[in-house]
Amino acid sequence: MTQNSTPQSLEAPSKPQRLRSEATIAALVFAVLTLLPALADGYVVYILPQYMTFGVLAMSLALLWGFTGILSFGQAGFFAIGGYAVGLLMSAQLPINGFYLGLLAAALSGAVIAGLIGYFLFSAGVRDAYFVLVTLALSIVVEQIAVSQSQWTGGWNGMFLMRPTLTFFGLSFELFDDLTVYYAVLIFVLLAYVALYRFTRSSLGKIVVGIRENEVRMVSLGVSSTFYKTLVFSVSAVVACLAGSVYAVHSGFVSPSLGGVLFSTEVVVWVAIAGRTSLIGALLGGIIVSSLSNFLSAVTPAYWQLVIGLIFILAIAYFRGGVAGAIERFFSKPFKGAA
Amino acid sequence: MLPVIDILVDATLITLVLMLAASGLAVIFGLIGVINMGHGAMMTLGAYFTWAATSAGIPFPVAVIIAALGVGAVGLLLEHFLIRHFYDRPFETLLLTWGFFLVATEAIKIVFGTDFRNVTNPLPGTIGIFGLELPTYRALVALLSVLLMLGIGFLYKKTNLGLTVRALIQNREVASLMGLDVSKLYKQVFVFGAFLAGLAGALISPMLSIDPYIGNVYLVRSFFVVTLGGLGQLVQGTLIGSFVIGGSETLFALATSQVFAQTIVFVLAVVLLRFFPRGILSARS
Repeated sequence: MTQNSTPQSLEAPSKPQRLRSEATIAALVFAVLTLLPALADGYVVYILPQYMTFGVLAMSLALLWGFTGILSFGQAGFFAIGGYAVGLLMSAQLPINGFYLGLLAAALSGAVIAGLIGYFLFSAGVRDAYFVLVTLALSIVVEQIAVSQSQWTGGWNGMFLMRPTLTFFGLSFELFDDLTVYYAVLIFVLLAYVALYRFTRSSLGKIVVGIRENEVRMVSLGVSSTFYKTLVFSVSAVVACLAGSVYAVHSGFVSPSLGGVLFSTEVVVWVAIAGRTSLIGALLGGIIVSSLSNFLSAVTPAYWQLVIGLIFILAIAYFRGGVAGAIERFFSKPFKGAA
Repeated sequence: MLPVIDILVDATLITLVLMLAASGLAVIFGLIGVINMGHGAMMTLGAYFTWAATSAGIPFPVAVIIAALGVGAVGLLLEHFLIRHFYDRPFETLLLTWGFFLVATEAIKIVFGTDFRNVTNPLPGTIGIFGLELPTYRALVALLSVLLMLGIGFLYKKTNLGLTVRALIQNREVASLMGLDVSKLYKQVFVFGAFLAGLAGALISPMLSIDPYIGNVYLVRSFFVVTLGGLGQLVQGTLIGSFVIGGSETLFALATSQVFAQTIVFVLAVVLLRFFPRGILSARS
């Protein structure tokens, strides 16, 4: 697989500039998200957290696709697993807070499933297309299990859950009020972004980019590419599962279609359009494209999906870095000449 | 009739239909290395074209041919305007054909709507062969599938066209230096694969209710068939792959539910891929 969309991130001169610009944009985005409830009306405050969890899902894919060069069509499968894990544990009458246990279970199940699949496939040298297919199969399986095991999942009717009460150091927050939920989700998004950002900037992240650029060279340098690819896949799955848990708690509802092929595809489309090598780009892409989708699908349901498909083809064929890549190229032109 | 024989007959029919569904993918994937994620959408298109043609009063066999040719034409457009520019980047063709899937599915929804459609079974009833009662139409499709596979094998191994295609797979540069029109061959193979996908969709259409997503299930199964069988092993590979996927699914479905059977088969396919990453046949040779 040829991945030459971000050669600039490997070159010394432009790196600090790129770093600064990404951090600035991230600060700006989170500032806007923090202040938004003061300006916007009730519906925006109610619905935006849902799209923010989609944004986190998009970031989990960007980590995998943009930074490691592995495309997964199964991220929505993990999203759904996270949602059902929280739903099941919250509906079971447990002595401890089911929500915390649910988050833990979601993260664990994501790590274990992704670890197993990743180990099996990566150690066999399975890559690119085969991996896409297996992850596609994963999301089909998740959807089918959710439909068929209706005694636990509610089948097609889905599963309803209550918003939980969180307790921190003796303080308790009831997540009933939309504004409280909004900030709770925002904190989750911020934590997810910072964690993923730190991950990509760490030495681990550099190894992963090295595997993307030239796997044979990294292996001959003594790096176990199987281990690191499995690790990144697991991290990405954990993030996707947690995003699914938060989504489930926010919307109070989980349905099988969350894990389905269509939703999996949508995630890939958001990330391809927004730009796969920028975390903040993926976050924004997830938020903006999914909210636009929802809004426009109410206006012109059929044609909007068609347009999304066409934009996806254009993004793949002509704009490999997506919108984020195009903007970056535009601003970095004076410094780099023909980029 | 003994239940064991009943099960075997059922498994054989499912296997052969699956082989038909996978043939178009095997041709495109195996010969020119394009992972056609639009394969499912092409099958769906074939089914809808058949439905449209039969509802317009065209007899079923003619409708099937029209549908297959129609999907072949769609494949030609797709190849000419998009895919041919990306043959040296297989992963991009995967994403582009996925984009085709998205667009084609939405176009189907706009033109035909999302309701279930049904194509009347042209050969209802059963037929007795060697004392077995077989559903006539499914038996015919299974037979056609076998004939088609034999035909493809003959084309590939015994004709001049097959020889040039094999030369192309072996060494693209040398084939091109020897004066073969490589881009024309790629185009022919891609369009033939699309034609086969359309044909499969058309022939399968009377067996189930048609909705815009029927191709999806076949897409993933067909991929497992082709990868398990081994790339480039057109006839034997596709047959063995279909047997593993289709046969085991039928057997597991007896013990548990249909859904669990599918899950087990997917897991089995992943595990088999671990040990035969290049396909069962390639690993042996």
